[in-house]
Amino acid sequence: MSRTLLSGNAAVAWGARLAGADYVPAFPITPQTEIIETLAGWIATGELDARTVMFESEHSMLTAAGAAAATGVRVFTATSSQGLLYAMEMLYAVAGWRAPFVLVNVSRAVAAPITLHSDHGDVLAARDTGFLQLHAATCQEAVDLVLLAYRVAEDPRVRLPALVNLDGFLLSFTREPVDLPEAEAARRFVGPFEPGAVSFRASRPVSQAVAVLGGGPYSYFRYEMHRAAEHAAVVFAEVAAAFAAETGRAYDAVECYRCDDAEVVFFLIGSLSTTAKDAVDRLREARARVGLVRPRLLRPFPAEALRRALAGKSAVAVVDQDLSIGMGGVLHSELAAALYGLAGAPLLASFVGGLGGRHVGVDELCAIADEALAASRAGRSPAPRLLYTETELREVRKLQAIAHGERHEVAQPAKPAGDTDE
Amino acid sequence: MYRIRLHGRGGQGIQTGARILGSALFAEGFETQDAPLYGAERRGAPISATVRAARAPIRERGLLLQPDLIVVGDESLVGVTAAGVLQGASERPWLLIRSGVASETWLRRLGRSDRVATFALEIEEGAELAFVGAACAGAAARMLGVVSRAALERALAGELGALSPEARTESTRRALAAWDSLAPLAGCVAEGLALSGSPAERPAWVDLPLDPADVAAPDVRAPLSSVQVRTGLWRTLRPVIDDSLCRRCSWVCSTFCPDGAISIDPDGRPRIDYDHCKGCLVCAAVCPPHAIRVERETGREPEPETDA
Amino acid sequence: MSDASEVARIRRMQDLPSTHLLGSGTSMCAGCGGLGAFRELYEVLGERSVVVNAAGCMSLLATYPFTPFRGSWLYTAMASAPAGAQGVRDALDILVAKRRIAAEEDLRVVVLTGDGAACGMGLSATSAAIDRGLDFIYLCYDNEGYGNTGQQTSASTPHGARTATDRGPRGYPGVKKDLFAIWAAHRPAYVATIIAAEPVDLARKVEKAKRMKGPRLLIALAPCPPGWGFDPKDTIEIGRLAVRTGVWPLKEYANGRVVHTKRYEPRLPVEQYLARQRRFAHLFEPRRDEETLAAIQRAVDENSARVE
Repeated sequence: MSRTLLSGNAAVAWGARLAGADYVPAFPITPQTEIIETLAGWIATGELDARTVMFESEHSMLTAAGAAAATGVRVFTATSSQGLLYAMEMLYAVAGWRAPFVLVNVSRAVAAPITLHSDHGDVLAARDTGFLQLHAATCQEAVDLVLLAYRVAEDPRVRLPALVNLDGFLLSFTREPVDLPEAEAARRFVGPFEPGAVSFRASRPVSQAVAVLGGGPYSYFRYEMHRAAEHAAVVFAEVAAAFAAETGRAYDAVECYRCDDAEVVFFLIGSLSTTAKDAVDRLREARARVGLVRPRLLRPFPAEALRRALAGKSAVAVVDQDLSIGMGGVLHSELAAALYGLAGAPLLASFVGGLGGRHVGVDELCAIADEALAASRAGRSPAPRLLYTETELREVRKLQAIAHGERHEVAQPAKPAGDTDE
Repeated sequence: MYRIRLHGRGGQGIQTGARILGSALFAEGFETQDAPLYGAERRGAPISATVRAARAPIRERGLLLQPDLIVVGDESLVGVTAAGVLQGASERPWLLIRSGVASETWLRRLGRSDRVATFALEIEEGAELAFVGAACAGAAARMLGVVSRAALERALAGELGALSPEARTESTRRALAAWDSLAPLAGCVAEGLALSGSPAERPAWVDLPLDPADVAAPDVRAPLSSVQVRTGLWRTLRPVIDDSLCRRCSWVCSTFCPDGAISIDPDGRPRIDYDHCKGCLVCAAVCPPHAIRVERETGREPEPETDA
Repeated sequence: MSDASEVARIRRMQDLPSTHLLGSGTSMCAGCGGLGAFRELYEVLGERSVVVNAAGCMSLLATYPFTPFRGSWLYTAMASAPAGAQGVRDALDILVAKRRIAAEEDLRVVVLTGDGAACGMGLSATSAAIDRGLDFIYLCYDNEGYGNTGQQTSASTPHGARTATDRGPRGYPGVKKDLFAIWAAHRPAYVATIIAAEPVDLARKVEKAKRMKGPRLLIALAPCPPGWGFDPKDTIEIGRLAVRTGVWPLKEYANGRVVHTKRYEPRLPVEQYLARQRRFAHLFEPRRDEETLAAIQRAVDENSARVE
């Protein structure tokens, strides 16, 4: 194994290369474009024996990805944000084709308003599509989860495409030390692509993805996808164990950091989790019993593992880097559903932040933990908080004044009781 | 609640018939609900529609599994399992079949002792059958006994507005004639229970096994399985090749049949596959020596017996 | 036998395939002009193919558990069949190049869409596929509207036609999109118009396309009985009139030139074609719409003059 500095984009490109991807349908979008450029470079030099084709839209790109996988080759593709949304019809469709491949999403906040930096509004919109969903917290995880994703997706009892998410900018353009598996070892781990009967051959004609009329038959196909996705949790554990034996890096579906005696835990996904570990350590120094619970696997939703991890905890500070307009944080809803009725279930406190790349640092996370702790002492969940400061509001008002060409009175924000300014 | 299901073929005005009946019942002060049940909407393909009527607002919807009256606008559908004509047809519901065959014969065919009625329509060779639905509505209205002739007339005027004046007149005439002719059975259909379903009938829930993707993908691995679908059942007119006139020209009929339902036998003679011929009659239209005649499609299984 | 002589071998109806490759039992309407053309094309191209389909009438060819194909089929989505074809083509090429399948396992890739997809949301995927030089055959069955949903106006609807969404007294005010010209402007390997009513011309063109490489695109005018308003038995006659009036010129593009492959001179007046279809009935009743009729005739005359 070689230890090298890689950006998240470079890391997932390595993941595709080590997995022996055959076909890379492509379309550029910030912040993932570097991935397809890297792969195109290796293809040109022959370092990667694959073909890449530029499509005219992500909708077409995903169609081609699924069609090629349904024909019988190992496919890799990548997109973000608007591209993921444009392809959304086809995410549902290709999952229903039961043709496995890996789609990397480099998360980026969605329009409107259009922006470039990261949040999870895009990737979480794909949670119902039938794609398995994994979230990387580091550039190391970026390459490793791509390899794991191929194994899980291609398992005969799963056969669903998999989406591996890495955060835009925070991982995609950030270089970190990465241990790259050796090519041979990676090839052995992932194995050859076995298409099975979902393939096109002259000798075995098949009509794929046909229309299905009638609620009984349609329900069968959709329920089976769900059963397969549930089974992917079992397969993930097996494959992760094999990976750990090979590399020494163990990946649970849910990462628990300093949780055993924790009173309050953070619950969040992606690269914010490394910051959160710092916040945990800071709080532990101050004698607070805080931990972190962080799913790597989001589809299938690891409900059982989360119930085990969180039973007996007093409070969970759920930090969503996404916002379901009119409902609130998506992770909050999903966690609440998993914990409902559990004996010893913790109180949940919902926080929404990080939208559009808004910085969430150790200081803010510590304050969040304090809120959660106070809530657990009071025995009552607080109202959901959209993370925003006086300073930020003041800044926005200044921008608005410029945008509207007027001078406005700066409206005073409503302060929560007992709060003090930073 | 009155629950009525109408069956027919695409092009026979069954959806319109359901709306006529629904509107007529609405005019008589009922809370009503009418809806077509869509499958593949093709001319000649089996379709059905439902009508519900009650004194209180209707909450149930969708499949009508406990009909009080089943109206069959095309008797050939009785033998077509996929058409679902006999779904829910225990001893309770009345069956009204548009047929020239006597109701006693139908009772025998269906293994019933009672509650089967027939009505016939005079139909010219090759005529469009778009008025069948309206006639079914008229007949059904009489059997329910709660729709006056005036209400039926109002419903016809309201629902047939989109048709040409000739078609409107034809459908109206047929509907009212059917209403009149069902006088002996006026009011024979009784209302069913307000609430459908039965608490004793618990569904037998299963936990689905996890099937391998090869099986659980929506793929068809048996080539040509479509030949098991007997689209010949769509047919109301049948092309018949007269071998004495057929010149085995250049197999014009075989080339132009859109469905490929005409093949050439070892003697070079074209043979029509009646299991799949949809009765479009292109072959008859293109045959150079006019060797293909058109006949009315007679009954299908069960075979009609030799009474009137 | 050389490629040119294979094509030249098809001169008369007798030279056409006499066995039908595409299975019967599909739910296409009786008299479907699109099915006629597709069946003829499939017979020439053969079962060593995978047909990649976009949403439209023919998406129901394969409905679980039935398929009429001896070869393979993939339903994609309305806008992206050419992209799906690209994925299949590339994957097969990779599998053969990497020796993961034998060369005999390779398949011809065929895209099948209606005019709705081809002229509308699928245009960008087609354009890009041609840009990439995709090696495929594309058949568009053009019934001049969104047929599967009930014949609403599409970009391919002709001037003056009544549709479900152009219901006024003068029909559709726009003009039919010239898909042939748009495709030809991309300078692909081959573009041609075909029609089921001219099976020899169709078979020759498909045979010719079959033996080429690169993007080869065919448009088949698909007379549509329910959508255009005529009896199914007239589907071939309507097709013949489309050709003989010049409404549907039989032409092909290759190497920068557009030529007629079959020409009927003098052309019949377009009225003879229009008068047979209820979608144009308003041009004749209650009064003749001389302005629109003249405009249609003029457009046909001008189009005809532009082609060798």
